[in-house]
Amino acid sequence: MKITFIAADGTTTEVEAKEGDSVMHTAVQNDVDGIIGECGGSMMCATCHCYVDEAWAAAVGGQEDGESDLLDCAASEVKPTSRLSCQIRLRRELDGLVIHLPESQL
Amino acid sequence: MPDHTLAPLDETITIDQLTTAPYPIYKRLRAEAPVTRVKSVGRTFLTRYADCKYVKDTPALFSSNDPNTPMKKAFQAHTLMRKDGPEHMAERMAMASSLMPKTIQDVWQPLYRQLAGDYLDRLPKGEIVDLHKDLSAPIAARILAHILGIPEATDEEMIFWSQALIDGAGNFGWQPEPFVISDHANLEMNALLEDAVKRVRAEPDPSALSVMVNAENPIPMSQIIANIKIAIGGGINEPRDALSTIVYGLLTEPEQLEELKRSQKWGPAFEEGVRWVAPIQASSRLVLEDVEIGGFHIPRGDTVMTIQASANHDEDVFDHPEKFDVFRAKNPHLSFGSGPHHCAGTHVARRTVGAVMLEMLFDRFPDITLPDPEIVQWRGFGFRGPINLPVKLG
Repeated sequence: MKITFIAADGTTTEVEAKEGDSVMHTAVQNDVDGIIGECGGSMMCATCHCYVDEAWAAAVGGQEDGESDLLDCAASEVKPTSRLSCQIRLRRELDGLVIHLPESQL
Repeated sequence: MPDHTLAPLDETITIDQLTTAPYPIYKRLRAEAPVTRVKSVGRTFLTRYADCKYVKDTPALFSSNDPNTPMKKAFQAHTLMRKDGPEHMAERMAMASSLMPKTIQDVWQPLYRQLAGDYLDRLPKGEIVDLHKDLSAPIAARILAHILGIPEATDEEMIFWSQALIDGAGNFGWQPEPFVISDHANLEMNALLEDAVKRVRAEPDPSALSVMVNAENPIPMSQIIANIKIAIGGGINEPRDALSTIVYGLLTEPEQLEELKRSQKWGPAFEEGVRWVAPIQASSRLVLEDVEIGGFHIPRGDTVMTIQASANHDEDVFDHPEKFDVFRAKNPHLSFGSGPHHCAGTHVARRTVGAVMLEMLFDRFPDITLPDPEIVQWRGFGFRGPINLPVKLG
């Protein structure tokens, strides 16, 4: 399956992803700039903030328990489509997912 | 079977060598024996980035839970640093809101700016001062006292308590003297906290103590006290050493400093300083099941040590790792750890030392110099930084 990351400056990166992985893990594995994931997916650092593309928002779903508290820590503006990408688990129906990246994670 | 070969045993590396000059040792270990049992420390050292990250990110196999360390005696409590799972989470989240960016931005950052101004005012322009002792340490103590909700504690008390807790927690030889000192520090802290608890009950504020005491479902008072002590033990030396290390790095790389003064983008200097010499260099994890790391069998019950100081210098991840280079393209250092125990003070450090102090220091003293970099001494195995930083303020 594939995920497309669109950076704040518009740079688009399409990567091959594995079902079951998180979006954060996929980005880090593929060296996508703009996702840091400093705490390794433990919901402790808020450096994997992303915006789910409007068209995919419903399929991905809303924030998990505790996620919004951490999003308060995010360095860039938090929007209704904001998620911590470590909490988005890839399922088959998310093949083709489009993720927008914030200006900054720190 | 290669997976049943134990990691090589090193009997030559001494704790003294690791305290004075660890980086050449780590460089050799990364190249020759990245998984090594170090006899003098009694731990299996992991010196490569990937292995350190794997261990930190896999708490189900590598536990922080080890009640039988000197830490318990030093803190007179089994603290969240040495717990896993829901118990760790409950105690950590109890004080989380006081350490989160919203509170930092609204409360601690403006206060830090004011305190930093006061401390910079005290420094004599034109003279040589030990910036480590006269700025890095006291400002770290002062902001922490406020964040924790014990502003009545003096800088000297905070610094003494912190060092007493650290020395006690690191007393793996179980010598009596460090515990005598940490017991004394505990008495003083307990007395002060007793009054402080009453105060924040009567007048709640955004401090960690107040948030924990006044929570709807508070954690036990014993753990509230333990959390405050952990923050005292773990919240002064790191920002102190980070600031001194970054200032040293910038003063010995004047071209980089000039560029930062022009751009005023100090964030990367903070990240590079904590990568270059990680204030917390190593951490222990207890191995819960037989595992294989780097081709070697690590038996259950072993204690591995992730050497983030070495991970941060891993040639596979960082170009010219030994050089302080603010402008490196990527800097995924492990100085704040990873996994559930990712440093709770990360956001505070980035938004005070990183976002406020560097800008203010170099604005106030634009012609600050380090007349003799050679006399700066670096110390520490578990925690590391300069122990002096004589600069000329101009």
